[in-house]
Amino acid sequence: MEKANVTGSVMVVGGGIGGIQAALDLADTGFYVHMVEKSPAIGGVMAALDKTFPTNDCSMCILSPKLVECGRHININLMTLTEIESISGEEGNFTVKLKKHPRYVDMDKCVGCGVCASKCPKKVPNEYNEGLTKRKAIYVPYSQAVPLKYTIDRDACLYFKAIDAGKKGKCKACEKFCENDAINFDDKEEIIEVNVGSIILAPGFSAFDPSGDSLYQYTNFKNVVTSMDFERILGATGPTDGHLVRLSDHKEPQKIAWIQCVGSRDIHHCDNTYCSAVCCMYAIKEAVIAAEHSKIPLDCAIFYMDMRTYGKDFDKYYERAEKEIGIRFIRSRIHTILELEDGSLSIRYADEQGNIKHEDFDMVVLSIGLEASRDAPELAKKTGITLDKNNFAVTSCFSPVSASVPGIYAAGCFQGPKDIPYSVMEASAAAAAASTSLAPARGTLTKTKEFPAEKDVSGEEPRVGVFVCNCGINIGSIVNVPEVAEFAKTLPNVVYVEDNLFTCSQDTQEKMAEVFKKENLNRVVVAACTPRTHEPLFQETLKASGLNKHLFEQANIRDHCSWVHQKEPELATEKAKDLVAMAVAKVALVKPLEPVTIGLTPAALIIGGGVAGMVSGLTIAKQGFKVHIVEKKDRLGGHALDLRKSFKGETVKTFTDDLIKEVTEHENISVHLNAELEDVSGFVGNFKTKLTTGKEFEHGVIIVSTGAGPSDTREYLYGKNPNVLKWFDLDKKITDEPETVKAARAAVIINCVGSRDDQRPYCSKICCTHAIENAIDLKALNPDMSVYILYRDIRTYGTREELYQEARAKGIIFIRYDLDNKPVVKEVDGRLNVTVTDHVLGRPITIEPDFITLQTAIVPKGHEKLSRMLKVPINAEKFFLEAHMKLRPVDFSTDGMFVCGMAHYPKPIEEAITQAQAAAVRAMGVLSKEALAIEPIVAAFIDRNACRGCGLCVALCPYKALDIEETEEGRKVKLITAACKGCGVCAATCYRHAITINSFTDDQFANQIEARFAA
Amino acid sequence: MSQSIELTELRCELKKKVMELVPDANLNSCLTCGACTSGCPATGQFDLDPRKFLRMVLLGLDEEVMKTPWVWVCTICYRCYSACPMKVDIPQLVYNVRASWPREERPKGIRLSCDYHISSNGSAMGAKPEDFKFCVEDVAEEVRETQPAFKDLQAFVGRKGAELCLNENSRGPVTEPDEMVPLWKILHTVGADWTYPAIMWGGENYCMFLADDKNWEHIVRTLAEHIDNDLGCKVLINTECGHSFYSIWAGLQRFNIPHKFEFKSIVEYYAQWIREGKLRVNSDWNVDNIKFTTQGPCMLVRKSLGDPVAEDLRFVMKSLVGEENFVDMYPNRSNNFCCGGGGGALQAPYNEQRRAYGKIKFDQIMATGAQYVAVPCHNCHAQIEDICEFHGGHYHTIHLWTLICLSLGVLGENERTYLGPDLAEFGL
Repeated sequence: MEKANVTGSVMVVGGGIGGIQAALDLADTGFYVHMVEKSPAIGGVMAALDKTFPTNDCSMCILSPKLVECGRHININLMTLTEIESISGEEGNFTVKLKKHPRYVDMDKCVGCGVCASKCPKKVPNEYNEGLTKRKAIYVPYSQAVPLKYTIDRDACLYFKAIDAGKKGKCKACEKFCENDAINFDDKEEIIEVNVGSIILAPGFSAFDPSGDSLYQYTNFKNVVTSMDFERILGATGPTDGHLVRLSDHKEPQKIAWIQCVGSRDIHHCDNTYCSAVCCMYAIKEAVIAAEHSKIPLDCAIFYMDMRTYGKDFDKYYERAEKEIGIRFIRSRIHTILELEDGSLSIRYADEQGNIKHEDFDMVVLSIGLEASRDAPELAKKTGITLDKNNFAVTSCFSPVSASVPGIYAAGCFQGPKDIPYSVMEASAAAAAASTSLAPARGTLTKTKEFPAEKDVSGEEPRVGVFVCNCGINIGSIVNVPEVAEFAKTLPNVVYVEDNLFTCSQDTQEKMAEVFKKENLNRVVVAACTPRTHEPLFQETLKASGLNKHLFEQANIRDHCSWVHQKEPELATEKAKDLVAMAVAKVALVKPLEPVTIGLTPAALIIGGGVAGMVSGLTIAKQGFKVHIVEKKDRLGGHALDLRKSFKGETVKTFTDDLIKEVTEHENISVHLNAELEDVSGFVGNFKTKLTTGKEFEHGVIIVSTGAGPSDTREYLYGKNPNVLKWFDLDKKITDEPETVKAARAAVIINCVGSRDDQRPYCSKICCTHAIENAIDLKALNPDMSVYILYRDIRTYGTREELYQEARAKGIIFIRYDLDNKPVVKEVDGRLNVTVTDHVLGRPITIEPDFITLQTAIVPKGHEKLSRMLKVPINAEKFFLEAHMKLRPVDFSTDGMFVCGMAHYPKPIEEAITQAQAAAVRAMGVLSKEALAIEPIVAAFIDRNACRGCGLCVALCPYKALDIEETEEGRKVKLITAACKGCGVCAATCYRHAITINSFTDDQFANQIEARFAA
Repeated sequence: MSQSIELTELRCELKKKVMELVPDANLNSCLTCGACTSGCPATGQFDLDPRKFLRMVLLGLDEEVMKTPWVWVCTICYRCYSACPMKVDIPQLVYNVRASWPREERPKGIRLSCDYHISSNGSAMGAKPEDFKFCVEDVAEEVRETQPAFKDLQAFVGRKGAELCLNENSRGPVTEPDEMVPLWKILHTVGADWTYPAIMWGGENYCMFLADDKNWEHIVRTLAEHIDNDLGCKVLINTECGHSFYSIWAGLQRFNIPHKFEFKSIVEYYAQWIREGKLRVNSDWNVDNIKFTTQGPCMLVRKSLGDPVAEDLRFVMKSLVGEENFVDMYPNRSNNFCCGGGGGALQAPYNEQRRAYGKIKFDQIMATGAQYVAVPCHNCHAQIEDICEFHGGHYHTIHLWTLICLSLGVLGENERTYLGPDLAEFGL
């Protein structure tokens, strides 16, 4: 492949959270993105979820900004209702043929008012609500959909049904009532060809369908619902408007049961050998949310096999659910659900001792598993990539987002079941991998918008234009818009007022631009919907007319007014007037603001030279940027040097050796061994670092990859008997002394040594799999060896479950113990002696093993010091804390700083690599810029003299954007503009009024308040 | 059973043996999830349940496993297997543990039934083929003489060239000959061209329950060869009996027995004849709205033909008693609970356990409020009747043929043993 001849664009297939993240990362690092989504809107499954674990964030609230950003990004070409038809070419230069299905609605004309749907006579099951409600034949998938454009469902539409049956088409109600002439029944399927350098596949998953099951009777029992149904029942836009009621009789449930592993870990009722990796957590979340949601005390019980809360803060979430919320966890798989006369459900189950219990529930939720996307086989066929037996994309643990065809990448559940943060990480990693070979073409296909020179309005009296929007019927049917418009004319400085049916429609925007000029306006107020989605659109119109975009104010008379005061139209009209008056009052005082730009050093500092550090460093170096890797020890490699193989069986040593060689030899990488950080100063784009070796350098970003290692222990005779080993010791023994190992008659492995207890209330995530791998290897060395694994829950999430199955098939005995009844290890007559109670028979078992291996907890080391130096947070367990657990899994909240690998949380090698690649692309978001442009709505000093240097604002600033400096006038606060997000905490805190926020100044607020009370 | 277990080196001889015999049994795959135990009516008997039993085998506690009589309380009904996510075939394990018992130590009742069947070359109660033939012909003659409507009724034994071959539970000719008549009447009404086999006519197979593969095979093979070689029938119909059906259905496959005939259950034929209009039954007679329920034998439904035959059974029942008078048990069809009469339990000496096992079925029946339970199975029939008396119920247990003939108005005076007083005189 000729490097200079690569195409600077990437195709992302699938518009779920994974696809969105990949697209945004690529578009922000200089690549043009063609985003292909099969359905009418992006958002994927996350858009249908109510809350997300473990933070209980509202799913839509955290997703929506990303949807909007993706939808309006100048370098993302969003193609909905589109599928891949065929692919030709190779890595760097693919030609993709796409099939674009007709929407029958003109995207440019449709303003999403919904009149068409309100008039459409045809109702069909609403997929977004899992078929529990109806939608119309012309529809948007959900109310926050991007793009917010209607679509005609041809299979449901009465007109098309007649046409397709060879009859004369009738109805066309949508066309008749559409004010914007947007309906186009003649729309046709199109074939489009696009050239891209790489392709990322992220089509997501399909949920397991339990309809055929005769034991749980999902199809026949109304109050047996799936977990996806339950998400919609909890959701505000769901079938019961967010009221937690039973579907059969709309009664509020008092008891709900969850049944785990429906469609997972089951080779009988389906062929899913794997664990779906997310169901334990989502079931707990649903139970917690339901319990909090319910007006009456709600009894929630979760029936499970192993509780797999293996992720960061997951065990704490589980503990809290059990101990504080009172969720009951019952370790039992249910045979059958019975329906009682009133629609309640009866469950007969065996407790752990084998006693039969009966319990009735008002509802039962089936925690359905994640299966490969139903589109996966077709997609694989068209792209030539290989799928595994479960139809998940095949990847290696060492290049975890690369599909089997060079230049094609796989992210999210397409390559195995996983949760949102891991999907987001994989998406970012895929963006990194997809852009590495395209680096020479960075910026060649991206666009920037050109605007006319800005008119100088300084010294002019404010001339305010007010545009009041009806938003179809959204505002106009409640608020008396003409009355508001008449009122606006009476306001000070207002020289022009008009009302529109849809202010946002394209033709209105064009007319507005003309009005600005004709009326010589220098301030604009739009009274319409929310600035969250529409402010950028209106601001663009200002810029196109030569006005500074900050000379604008939006009054939200829809979300804040007509939508919430539907029953009081007169009062709503009064409130709309107030909102307009306040906007006008504020805009009069608004001044033009210029974006702040700062330069940067295009180099990265990587702290920690383990696999994660090396991968992130190499990823950045390969894209042409300078990298410094700082390693405390005298060699690179970290704990990977002690590992034998990945869970897929690949040899870690070969990979690590190659990686060390590549890193050491790379011209863009400087490796600093035997070195630690002595001092770091500066901010995003402009850091300065001094090492303990005395070396100093500048860099634009920092990636923390300091890792974590096995904890010490004094339990189970460790350190006293030489045959009690730590897990790495057994790895070493298997490699170095196979003959000694082979001679053993019996071996015991004890899991959770130092994990999941009071001192360390977290799961070390990798131990179960590691124990099982070693056990299988012991059996391979000597099939007659008796191997026992003593565990608390087996947490072989995802396809690791197949290893667990293999281990059982090989006759390895798993014995479960509780924290309050741990195994006892003694030395009797020089022999090791283990006593543990069998979890099934309830009888003590004594084993005299030749050796015992302890799966000791993974613990971070030295993070407190680094945390203080970098001013980034660590959690209670001393792992570094990312900006947001769900959607910003590798960012610190401080700009320009990132985290990856075990420094973040214990994780297996492929996840560390994924995270390292993700951190690299996030860092590239900074490094790939020539200069950092900062929105001018940031903190600014109005009175430096007023500052007393008390430091209260410094302590409260969540972004480390303020610092204290010693000046000739004494201690003063210093503002780091590049780091400021404009949140305003500092300004609100400063009792000296020394700080203010641009565009949110005190006098602007005062004017607004006055306007409100004068009105 | 709380004594300590010394493990160190696992010696799982029993497990190894069963895994060699039944490689698909997945014994090692157990997740100890408890789905089997929660669905098993034998849970708790002799302090065991399917999960514990398997666990003992996996931990190599062979001696204890070999000693427990639990294997004779488990009816091998396969309800555990149907819910198992790992397809662990515990019933096959139980079967093979039964087979590992010294033959003379296995329950005497089951063993003797097997032995009689082999020695008599006819049936489990030891009636010889010639006695069977005599009895059938004698009873048929009596019907022809006393019931004018059936003056042409025929019942053949070993008739060559008949289209259909039907077996007969040995209880019929030996202890209640009049109970054979209703089915003959049905066959007569639909104009069936049928015969009994001359040998191995008994609709039962206790050798299967004894886990005596050799003799189980002998019975099925002898019958198959007799039908193909001596009679030339196109179809072998199994009479109203679950385990007999399964012993032939599974035996033909398990022992690879070649056969030319098709094998069907009489329940399938009842449904077919009603649908074809050959059996003109209706529910008009049930003016008092007497409630009925039915027990589908596990051997016939879950273990063999699945839900389709359960649907046939319900279709027949609803045709006979009226849709509104049929009350189903829950759970039902392929997920039905075994009554406890299967697996040879009625011939085993563990009556206390068998009746405790049957309590679930008893409660299910009582919950329907039905006055009658119709069962196309002799073992279910005996067990359901027994648990009714033992647990203090008040329903009646009947065969399907009784109900069919009642509906047709042809049920004779002596053919009403199992009907309650409300129907004892009905239609005479």
